[in-house]
Amino acid sequence: MTSPDTAQPRAADAAGPAPPRGPAPAASGGRPAWRPRGTDAVQTTASLAALVLMILVFSVLDAQFRSWDNVVAVVDAAAVPGVVTVGLTFVLLLGAIDLSVEGVIGACALTVALLVANSRTGLDLGVLGVAATVALGAAFGLLSGVLSTRLRIPSFLTTLGVYAIGLGVATILFSGERPIVEDPWLGDWASSRFLGFTIVSWVAAGAILVGWLIQRYTRVGRYAYAIGGAEDIARLSGVPVARYKTAAFAVAGSFYGLGAVMATSQLGSGVVQAGSGLNFSAIAAAVIGGTLLVGGRGGVLQSMIGVLVLTVLQNGLILAGVSPYAQQAVQGVIVVVAVAAATWPVRHRLGVVK
Amino acid sequence: MRKPTRQRLAVLTGVLAGGLLLTACADDGGTDSASGDGGSCSPEDITLIGQVRNQTNPYEAAWLAGGDEFAESVGLEQQHLTYDGDSQRQQEQIRQALAGSGMECAVLNVLPNGDSDTAPIVAAANEAGAFLVTQWNKPADLNPWDGYDRWVSHITYDGEESGYLIAKALIEQMGGSGGIIALQGILDTSAAQDRFAGLQRALSEHPEVELLDEQTAGFDRAEALNVTRTLLTAHGEHVGGVWAANDDMALGAVQALEAAGITGVGVVGIDAVPEAIAAIEAGTMTATVSSDGPWQGAIGLAMGYCAATGELDVADVANDDRAFFAEQFLIDQTNAAEFAEPELNMDDFECGSLFDRATGPIG
Repeated sequence: MTSPDTAQPRAADAAGPAPPRGPAPAASGGRPAWRPRGTDAVQTTASLAALVLMILVFSVLDAQFRSWDNVVAVVDAAAVPGVVTVGLTFVLLLGAIDLSVEGVIGACALTVALLVANSRTGLDLGVLGVAATVALGAAFGLLSGVLSTRLRIPSFLTTLGVYAIGLGVATILFSGERPIVEDPWLGDWASSRFLGFTIVSWVAAGAILVGWLIQRYTRVGRYAYAIGGAEDIARLSGVPVARYKTAAFAVAGSFYGLGAVMATSQLGSGVVQAGSGLNFSAIAAAVIGGTLLVGGRGGVLQSMIGVLVLTVLQNGLILAGVSPYAQQAVQGVIVVVAVAAATWPVRHRLGVVK
Repeated sequence: MRKPTRQRLAVLTGVLAGGLLLTACADDGGTDSASGDGGSCSPEDITLIGQVRNQTNPYEAAWLAGGDEFAESVGLEQQHLTYDGDSQRQQEQIRQALAGSGMECAVLNVLPNGDSDTAPIVAAANEAGAFLVTQWNKPADLNPWDGYDRWVSHITYDGEESGYLIAKALIEQMGGSGGIIALQGILDTSAAQDRFAGLQRALSEHPEVELLDEQTAGFDRAEALNVTRTLLTAHGEHVGGVWAANDDMALGAVQALEAAGITGVGVVGIDAVPEAIAAIEAGTMTATVSSDGPWQGAIGLAMGYCAATGELDVADVANDDRAFFAEQFLIDQTNAAEFAEPELNMDDFECGSLFDRATGPIG
């Protein structure tokens, strides 16, 4: 293995004069790769401003919205999408895409429901079952990564395939009868509270912290920026691109697995469609927050801003009394406006829009 | 090298397609004479076919099991067809099942994938001379009495009535007053609209019950969990009951209530999925409505069987019985245990009592 510690700054230096893709954060010389700087900082500010504006508007429209109970409800609702979006962020940083989320979550949801105490199998693995499920998620991610890097197939297609595999595995595990979770420990994740928030919310907070630490302090996270910023230059600089890309997919998969465990706790049984709608909302959240699809930009914390924007929006539209018939359209318009606003400061840097 | 291969392939495909066409024509000729008369099959010559979407959901698995039980009671076996919710595949299976001769003694009990899938199935069965019963889906302007002498009947359920029955059960549980939140299905489906109309009818009869909010959760459990969570913060202790347009959403609402630490709120749904029946037994749900899947699986075969043996003359069946709403059953704590393991009553399938569960014509 080439010395990665020296490879990293070299990759960064070399990536500096590559303006068409915009200077990736990794391209900022000796400075830490994670800190939003320059246009990225402007963009993070824009996303935050959009979030604050939205909160202000809904607070004025509806008194219930600004109640403490509702803050708790929003955080609870943001927990699962948050964890999933942390995982997806690692893939987006590479400049790749992951469409396997719902399939992986389906398979993991059934798996965890069948491994902890449940109505169908005699197993009662508890925390071990949760760990095994997270490992299964990582394995799915690994599969996506290996297929993309070794067979050189675009991640768009490999992850679509893994999505189908995941859903297939979930359907086989389902086999006509939903496993009801009877493990009180896992059930408590959704119902018992610590300092006002559910355990699921605390698990999410912990996962986001871990995600940030991976992004900040490990090679998987730091190389993701270099690879996403300019993959060919990263490769020329001695970064084992394929290996770290695969690792980033595996990290993402493990977060999907954890998300599936949390969703299963909330739903009370193993549901094949536990992740329905999550894939695209996670991509949208990441982009709103500033983790752009071109790769090399944004990060875990920025993506979380996007998750909050979407969650607050869904919550606020219901509380503001917008007709259910109009909600979806209103939501779509606001998301487009939010993305436009969030990416406005950097739009001239996005050389190519596909 | 590549080009000639393609050409050869094209020729081969053409020949094959032509051959298929010829076969199809020959079949048409052969069965024309059969579709006129009927009802003279000896029981052992009858083929029973049940077709549903898939066997991975409990409802359709129960449907096929009901069909098997009926088939066994007349000394036959039911052939299972499943098409995974794929309309193309359903048509293909029907074509294959009806290919060959002697189809005038075949009986099909079919769940069409959607309204528009019914017409070609009906036409194919009539042409082949096979007896057909369809359930759930058909276009409003297509009816068995319009010259389809082999299409015995179409059975479906009144969604407005289902929505009404569970609303009444919920209101009764709430003691006749209080606030309700409604979780609608996918808004542009007739199932969602009919069921919600039933809730509105019940509400008009009980002015002291208030509809606090109506939201859609797309028949989806996870979405229902999120929406209910938000509605609970919006309406707090005013919520006395949750009306959901299916059991999946009701179960999502149950989880939201549990997470919020709220007890004593009634929750109702529709479909009678096993998990909902278990929840009713446990007291976390109030009621659901069952269409009785095993009965559906058996009754279609029974109707066709009686018609094929001649014990039922399709021409004598009143129009009101050839497209009808079947009786549905409210399940609450008093009878949940019976429905946890439903059993068929074979008397329902005697040729004289086939239409006993008809509650009225569709419309």
